[in-house]
Amino acid sequence: MRSRYTRWISIFAVLAIVLAACGGDDTSDTTAAGSTDETTADAGGDTYEVFALLPQGNDQPYGSTYLPPMQEEADRLGINLTITNSQYDADKQASECEVAVAANPDLIILWPAVGDTVRPCLEAAADAGIPVTVTNSDVNPEDKDLTAAYSGPDTYGQGVASAEIFCDLAGGEDVGIIMVNGLTGNSTAIDREAGFEDTINDQCPNVTILARQPGNWNKDESQIAASEMITAVGAENIGGVYAADDTMVAGVIDALKARDIDPASLIITSIGNTFLGNPLVKSGELDGTVFQSSSWDGGNAITTAYEVLTESPSERIVKFMPSVKVTADNAEDASVAPEW
Amino acid sequence: MSQAQGIQLGQEQGGLVSRIRVTIARRTEGRALALLILVAIATWITEPTAFTAWEVTLGRVALIGLVALGLTAVILMGELDLSVASTLAVCGVVMASIDNLALGVVAALAVGLIIGVVNAFFVVVVGINSFIASLGMLFFLRGAAFVISNEEPVRLASRDAGIAFGKPFLGPLTPRMVIFIVAFIALQVFVTRVRAGREFYAVGGNREAAYDAGIPVRRRIFTGFMISGFVAALAGVINTLERTAADPTAGSTVLLASFAAAIIGGVLLTGGRGSIFGTLLGATSLGILQVALTLTGVQVDVQNIVIGLVLLLAVITDPNSLRTVVGSARSLFQGRSGSHPVG
Repeated sequence: MRSRYTRWISIFAVLAIVLAACGGDDTSDTTAAGSTDETTADAGGDTYEVFALLPQGNDQPYGSTYLPPMQEEADRLGINLTITNSQYDADKQASECEVAVAANPDLIILWPAVGDTVRPCLEAAADAGIPVTVTNSDVNPEDKDLTAAYSGPDTYGQGVASAEIFCDLAGGEDVGIIMVNGLTGNSTAIDREAGFEDTINDQCPNVTILARQPGNWNKDESQIAASEMITAVGAENIGGVYAADDTMVAGVIDALKARDIDPASLIITSIGNTFLGNPLVKSGELDGTVFQSSSWDGGNAITTAYEVLTESPSERIVKFMPSVKVTADNAEDASVAPEW
Repeated sequence: MSQAQGIQLGQEQGGLVSRIRVTIARRTEGRALALLILVAIATWITEPTAFTAWEVTLGRVALIGLVALGLTAVILMGELDLSVASTLAVCGVVMASIDNLALGVVAALAVGLIIGVVNAFFVVVVGINSFIASLGMLFFLRGAAFVISNEEPVRLASRDAGIAFGKPFLGPLTPRMVIFIVAFIALQVFVTRVRAGREFYAVGGNREAAYDAGIPVRRRIFTGFMISGFVAALAGVINTLERTAADPTAGSTVLLASFAAAIIGGVLLTGGRGSIFGTLLGATSLGILQVALTLTGVQVDVQNIVIGLVLLLAVITDPNSLRTVVGSARSLFQGRSGSHPVG
């Protein structure tokens, strides 16, 4: 009896230790932020310990193409990266921030899961003397003084660019549209929606928003949301669609087709220029989208952090990703080849 | 030492070892404790910062564990409450929507209690399975959180109060940790020392027998769901204060983590077996593991694999599961050997 229990315990002990060790080995070249009290940078070398608190990673298309250039750039510049993924859970990210501050890295790169909730994290980092740079989605204006830099898309500007394409195509015509927005409460979703709406109100007030629903960055949910809105407002009243990203616009186009509505007969704009969106532009089903380069985003998160680490700038650095409009005219160009 | 003394000492030692073995074997926390020791050793070897920065780890344990403690009260009675994460979100939003902080806290906790009552009403009075009733509540509350918040995070009127709340006030302990410890003690005492709490086991173990024994089963189920709702609301209040805003999407990872903590802690999902202390052990294992994995920078999918394996380890080491597996294996091999042609 005793030997049977001992055998089981031994097996599980070995299993648990091996598992944990496997986890450590997996990123041994990029980690150990917590295990080295004195970093090489502190010792006068040229490598740095950096925590990147991200809300997504390989579990999302954008994250999976954002991470490799980030890691590549980090390797090139001698930065040891420890990357976390909170899966857009603000509480989890806050807890990861506590872990990061406890590990005392040279810098924290933050991609806020929920912009309104990061202030305590920023204050904790500031109290510990750890500089924070922001990537992809900027923090709220009143929190910017606690961060050293921002690099990433101009999320409001992307909404503006998408609306400009729409206004150009609408001309002076009265057009009723439906909107499919991103995840409710997400700062990128809020900014893009605001950018789009402000611009159509300003540049083409003849465009009227008939209905709007969140598509949660998801194709299937967007298809359902679009289908419901088509029913609610009547297909005959819809002259156009705005979706906050290409994944969602693909769902909307499927919903239109399911109702025997030719997408090419409507004005449809989006944001992303992804592997899903770019072919839709080429086929004429999507009239325009705005290029968002995940590799630019990931790479610049590191170069911006490096700039802060090496130059200690007195002013907050802001690097906006260019919001390049992609229509049928330039969809084939290599400069706007989709990345995710 | 005389021979008699030696024999007596040997018997005492043997008796002690035997008593410890019996205690560990009897108590559902035994496996959870063994698992916690394994996790702690593995973490100590691979990522000791999880222990040197113990206040961070304790914070993570409190984050995972608080909702799990409340949930355990329901699970002990063989019921499920899938609405805890949505309760957390909606109570946070209710609290942040009210400018007066104290009033907001009271309102949020009251809403948590009401949610518990409604859940119990559907289960006890209407007779809906708790899985379905709380699943419906999960969707309803999540939607309500979005509607109340106007689909955006709601900031606290007093952000400074929120930031102050998140800072240590008792040595290195933050209010979250202290509340978690108090909640644990209160629930542990209730379930082990108070008659109403002890009756949870009877309700979960054999409901018919509990009815026959004159236990007010319906009232106990109401109490369990109210505890679960209240504790989830408390977690929502704490999260909202610490983040200085209520997020309608909050708690997306809470539900599964809470169940995982309870299961790792040896709480039987069909009820009647488990303990608040076991859930604490489960939450501690999970918290240490999560902090260690975060420190190593392992991707979240690998983290999920490790946590899933630990969960499976906790489940398959259950004596009943082991007996079933061994029995199945025996019958399989016996069946095969029996089917071999003779000669």
